[in-house]
Amino acid sequence: MIHFDKVSKRYGAGQDALSEVSFEIDAGEVVFVTGHSGAGKSTLLKLIGLVERPTRGQITVNHAQLSNVRRRGIPQLRRDIGMVFQDHRLLTDRTVFDNVALPMIIAGTSREEIGKRVRAALDKVGLLSKEKSSPTELSAGEQQRVGIARAIVAKPPVIIADEPTGNLDPQLSAEIMNLFAEFGAVGTTVLIASHDLHLIKRIGKRVLILDHGKLIDDYRPAAP
Amino acid sequence: MTQKPQAERNVRKSAPAPAPPPAPSAPAEPRRPRLSMRARSAAWRDQHFYGFFSSLGRLAARPWATALTVLMLGFALAMPLLFWLAFNNARDLSGGLREAREVTVFLKPEIEGKAALDFAADLRKREDVAEVVVRTPEQGLAEFRQLSGFGDALDILKDNPLPNVLVVTPRSVPDGDNPPLVAEIRADARADLVQYDATWRRRLSDILGFGERAVAVIAALLALATLLVIGNTVRMDIQARTEEIAVMQLIGASDGFVRRPFLYSGLWYGLFGGALALIIVIGAEFAIAGPLDRLLASYDHRLALSGLDIVSAVVVIAASSLLGWAGAFLASARHMAAGHPE
Repeated sequence: MIHFDKVSKRYGAGQDALSEVSFEIDAGEVVFVTGHSGAGKSTLLKLIGLVERPTRGQITVNHAQLSNVRRRGIPQLRRDIGMVFQDHRLLTDRTVFDNVALPMIIAGTSREEIGKRVRAALDKVGLLSKEKSSPTELSAGEQQRVGIARAIVAKPPVIIADEPTGNLDPQLSAEIMNLFAEFGAVGTTVLIASHDLHLIKRIGKRVLILDHGKLIDDYRPAAP
Repeated sequence: MTQKPQAERNVRKSAPAPAPPPAPSAPAEPRRPRLSMRARSAAWRDQHFYGFFSSLGRLAARPWATALTVLMLGFALAMPLLFWLAFNNARDLSGGLREAREVTVFLKPEIEGKAALDFAADLRKREDVAEVVVRTPEQGLAEFRQLSGFGDALDILKDNPLPNVLVVTPRSVPDGDNPPLVAEIRADARADLVQYDATWRRRLSDILGFGERAVAVIAALLALATLLVIGNTVRMDIQARTEEIAVMQLIGASDGFVRRPFLYSGLWYGLFGGALALIIVIGAEFAIAGPLDRLLASYDHRLALSGLDIVSAVVVIAASSLLGWAGAFLASARHMAAGHPE
């Protein structure tokens, strides 16, 4: 589902943010990317969503070779990738419902369908009762769950999350991570960048470990 | 808009690459069922509704800023409109003067009484003359006394200094500065001075031509100002929403989708500004209607003024809306590149 082939990324003339990274993630896999700050976790996720282009190497996401995706094709590619951000990036001038509905409005889904899917997504993250609230009225954990509902509402085949629990306490973090783990069970490919090794260990999924832009370990737990 | 198929065409499915990837990529398969024509047009409509209402909501969220912008636009657009109306009326009023074709013939002082009437009779025989009116010195003096207010001063004169005057109306408007009729009267020994106002009419024509151009230039400059005001307003709006735009682009919004609410905002600014300009113009018409009516009454209502007609009003609204849209388009064009790599 996600395939990196000797991918390198260099910003300006500096050091490589990623160098010669290769890996393959199958559909329905839940994978963590970890490493110290600046190891290249965020860069790796940005390359998948075409926020950045690789300096060298090939990336394939959901059967699309990204080097072939031109500027005008980027929105369509991103509609197949649900993105979750550390600071959730909700739009505070509209309700929770409208925030979650945005990807579907963008994709041109019919209104009845939007209503159903938004409620289903909010139900999944346990926030159905908050659909009319403003994001600013919610707690940090709730805001992040709205962000996740927005990422899954269009049922994208791939979800990427950049430090989704960075601002949350351990218990909320565990809840959020378990939520992500569930998506894998229904066939969605999930890639989560996190430096919370303790939490990652508890979830027991595959882990890619980056160090100074290099992939130094691809840890797969023994099948349960 | 059928952005979807366009976008899909742009995402080329993993083509056979020169260097074969280690893992064979799956053949191209439709990732999502193609939407029916009806569903697509419904989606298109929904997206426009979204842009339409979200742009209105944005304007309503900042009523003071919006009102100020609309006021500024309204006055900027009202200016050329008022000039244009004033100019149009000036042209209509001068229409009668432009048509003036009478030739005024002042006779030599010695041509009096019978001789003057004979000259008039000679002219009446000509085919190109429609009418000849004789004004005797007595009539002339009476008229002068009435119009000039020099009545008392004129009483001092012992003799009437005015000559006989023939007012000749040609059958058709003569061409040129010195048509044959005028030339022949000039050549006649009995005529002292022949007044035919070709020069003056040409000058009037030039003044009107200048007025027309001046109105066009002012209108063009103020239209440009409108474009820039709206463009700048939308640009500030875009800057205030950088984060929102970035989020939308990250979750797959096309440039068109991001841009649409801003284009609608520009359209609204133009529309409201145009409507306000019309209100200003109509208000100005009402304000000057009273005194103007009295002025026209003194002319026995021989002059009629025209206000703004419905067609011009519609054109003004349409043009200002279009200007607003264009301003927003220009302002948004360069901001759309943000959020994309390369």
